[in-house]
Amino acid sequence: MNFERKLPIRLLQFFCHPDLLEDIVGDLHELYEENRNVGGEGKANRLLWVEVIRLFRPGIIKNILGTFATDTIGIYRNYFKVSWRNLAKNKVFSAINIISLSVGITACLIIFLFIRDELSFDNFHAKRDRIYRLCELQTWPGTNPQNVPISWPKMGYMLPDYFPEVEMCARYNNRGEELMQSGNKKLVVKNVAGVDSTFLQVFDFEMIAGNRKTALVDPLSIVITEDVARRFFNSTDVVGKALHNDGREYNITGVLKNIPENSHLQFDMLYSLSTLRADRPNFNDETGSNFMIAYVLLKPNSDVDAIEKKFPDFLTSLVDDEEINQAYKLFLQPLKDVHLASMDIEHDYQNYRKFNGTYVHVFMLTGIFILIIACVNFMNLTTARSNTRFREIGVRKSIGAKKMQLVHQFILESVQLAVIALVIGFSIGYLVLPFLNDLITRQLSMATIFSDLGLTAGILGISILLGIISGLYPSLYLSSFRPIHILKVVGSRSKSLLRSTLVIVQFSLAIGMIVSTIIVVQQLFFIQNKDIGFNKDHMLLISLNDEANEKYELMKEELQKDPHILGVTASGQRIGNNFHQYGFKYKKDTSILRIVPSNVTVDYNYLDVYEIKIKSGRNFSKEMATDDGKAFIINESFAKKLDFEDPLGQQLGHGWYDNDSLGRIIGVTEDFNFNSLHYEVNALSMVVHTDWNFSEMSVKLNGNNLQAGIDAIEKIWNENVTDSGYPFSYKFLDEHFDEVYKSDQQMGSVVTIMAILSILVGCLGLFGLASISIEKRIKEIGIRKALGATTSELLILLSKNYAALIVVSLLIASPLAYLYLDRWLTNFAFHISINPLIFLLGGLIAMIIAILTISFHTFRASRTNPVDALHYE
Amino acid sequence: MSNKSLGEFEEIVLLTVAILYEDAYGVSIKKDIETRLNRNVSVGAMRTALSRLEKKGYLKSHFGEVTKERGGKRKRYFRVTQPGKTALEEVMESRKKLWDAIPAMSFDF
Repeated sequence: MNFERKLPIRLLQFFCHPDLLEDIVGDLHELYEENRNVGGEGKANRLLWVEVIRLFRPGIIKNILGTFATDTIGIYRNYFKVSWRNLAKNKVFSAINIISLSVGITACLIIFLFIRDELSFDNFHAKRDRIYRLCELQTWPGTNPQNVPISWPKMGYMLPDYFPEVEMCARYNNRGEELMQSGNKKLVVKNVAGVDSTFLQVFDFEMIAGNRKTALVDPLSIVITEDVARRFFNSTDVVGKALHNDGREYNITGVLKNIPENSHLQFDMLYSLSTLRADRPNFNDETGSNFMIAYVLLKPNSDVDAIEKKFPDFLTSLVDDEEINQAYKLFLQPLKDVHLASMDIEHDYQNYRKFNGTYVHVFMLTGIFILIIACVNFMNLTTARSNTRFREIGVRKSIGAKKMQLVHQFILESVQLAVIALVIGFSIGYLVLPFLNDLITRQLSMATIFSDLGLTAGILGISILLGIISGLYPSLYLSSFRPIHILKVVGSRSKSLLRSTLVIVQFSLAIGMIVSTIIVVQQLFFIQNKDIGFNKDHMLLISLNDEANEKYELMKEELQKDPHILGVTASGQRIGNNFHQYGFKYKKDTSILRIVPSNVTVDYNYLDVYEIKIKSGRNFSKEMATDDGKAFIINESFAKKLDFEDPLGQQLGHGWYDNDSLGRIIGVTEDFNFNSLHYEVNALSMVVHTDWNFSEMSVKLNGNNLQAGIDAIEKIWNENVTDSGYPFSYKFLDEHFDEVYKSDQQMGSVVTIMAILSILVGCLGLFGLASISIEKRIKEIGIRKALGATTSELLILLSKNYAALIVVSLLIASPLAYLYLDRWLTNFAFHISINPLIFLLGGLIAMIIAILTISFHTFRASRTNPVDALHYE
Repeated sequence: MSNKSLGEFEEIVLLTVAILYEDAYGVSIKKDIETRLNRNVSVGAMRTALSRLEKKGYLKSHFGEVTKERGGKRKRYFRVTQPGKTALEEVMESRKKLWDAIPAMSFDF
């Protein structure tokens, strides 16, 4: 074996300083021969290894930077000068490089801010890692299984007793808005919640005044936010004062700072749950009805799985019901999942700005994609343009620049560009963020980045890293030329295979994003325009208090006389979410069976006003006395579950009805999507109970003049609801639906913007690339023209390479995009099917944009006078 | 000047180069030290010392002819320079001064 091929010698060649290499290898060789003659080959090899390893020492190892420069500062000054000259000389390419990188960086910065905001939810609670929300998986006959975050009052109450691992439990019960009074001042407090005395110990909502531990112990204690305190008293020094509601006096025992935006719980006033026990002494023993949200604080290092395993026993200890564990399966949801991982949880109304966490990943991915596309631009343009630097490289090498020095130089240049791009990216971010905030209803701010020094440094570091990564390949490529070669022949045949691959990467990403955009937008359009079985247009929702309920019939009559109002009805719950479910019974043959459908109480004319179609049977009628409480209109899904030959006239009723006095089914409606389209249509029963309060009045307005309609309602309201002073407040049903799909809509907007940016940045690169390659072929074009080629022939000739690249990109992107989108669509129970033509359309769009981009160059080239081209030198 | 001072090992290498005169190159220096002083010398340690001495100006080097042995690698021959000689003399001188100053009784055991 050749001595120099031996591994230790090759290793030595790798690390040894070149000036020392020759005689050291010679010495080692001589010693090796001698050792072999004396002690044999094995020993000689071993000794060689020992020597080489001992040669690995300073003084022998070459300088990694390959530089022996005596004037480091001078050479760096030269690098900067040269790179500035280069930037200034090729303004178009510099602009393309910097702009695409800036756009990529802006996109990433904004996405970063967005994600940081989403991830910051509920982060301010010191014990957040130990806080869990008690959830139930409910499986009831007649209804689809569902996860809910609510539980019986008794569950949360008994948890700390049953489980030694539970440090404390705080229950939360939203009571909606309340009209509070102080002296003559009557104001609506928006979000009022009843909580256990432990609430402020489990959660760290900041307190201005009052004692966290005792504030909510006594009945009739309330803790208000500083905002509420200011509204009533113009001061936050209000502990000891009182607010009145419904003839009761509530003592203010604490004042909280306003609830931060990034808290999933949003409330303005808390009252002690012990207050409730005045009316409901057995409140803490109540079972069966789920309406409490229980937050559990576990002791450190508790085993959640072990607790969940004990839940079935826990449930049987609470109620005397053998089958309880078939209907309920309890689980603990970590606090950090409440905001981002609750999409599969229904009846989740106390979850402010709930967001689909998987979209966070989608956003992150699109940001990375854009950055990749921008980096590819940089690599492609720099390598493709390398011939402009040949002479410089040749001269540098001839006067002794080492390869590593050149690599160093070029990486420095790209880092420089990246830092410039970062500054520009920041500026663009500042400019566009306000518009974007409107679009995605956030309050993101670039300034937050500077408030955290580590973060600022981190982002700067990442940008530099970006410069290094995108500069690495071009610098290795440029520095690898042999000086003799580049000084002799100017312009070389550069490898375009890698460049083509990079273009394919870019366009695969861009096409994937275009296709995704089309399908996402299609699905969102589908959601908005699908016939959901009722009419939600121009529907105004007005919340009712007790007094308004009393005067509802009166107001309804007056309202219906107004020409701007097409219909007035009311219901116990708002359409657009799942309606509450509770037990039902029905008579089949002679036996009584149980079932749990969704339920809603409605006014007689509910179906008319909402334009819900009746499939068979009749509507509610005021003329029929039994229609008050004893007549049910069910939907088709419920009819299917009941499985009667003819459901009409069959007997059924609420769970608490006497078996002998059940009501009857009087009608069956077509299925309508009262819940969001993410979910299948549940079994539903509608009933009229005139003695039950409605929560909201629905007023159908004439679309021609909405404001006149609203004014009319307000006038009538103010004339009637006088005693309680409950203010008129309304919301359009459309707005409510927008909220239901907000996560999806925002995802749609972001993906659309990103797709546009990605194709834009990709095309910028293509624009530069085309200009370079056409410039190189300018003589060929001249000759072809001289020999009679037409402009269109030349256009095809020059474009076809790029067209081929885009076809390949399409083939790569399509299956991946299909898989991803197909999975996304399963999020919706109601969704479009993917039309394969969409992929062709996406490819076509990319193709057209790309061809148009390069046509600027191709057209110019094919139109030039061949004389100019051939006369080039 | 401190950076011109001679370390113990450097002194040995420098002296050996002087001993070997025209035949002083890597392997011969190493072997000479090993046989004469009975101590093990690695190529790395010796080569570093040689470079350092050359940098201090106590040695100069030139490549020999290409020969067939050693895989065609040239030998690098070393010669002691005038400053090298001076440095060695200084070391000897200073040692001598110290020896002379030792009272005879010191070594009576």
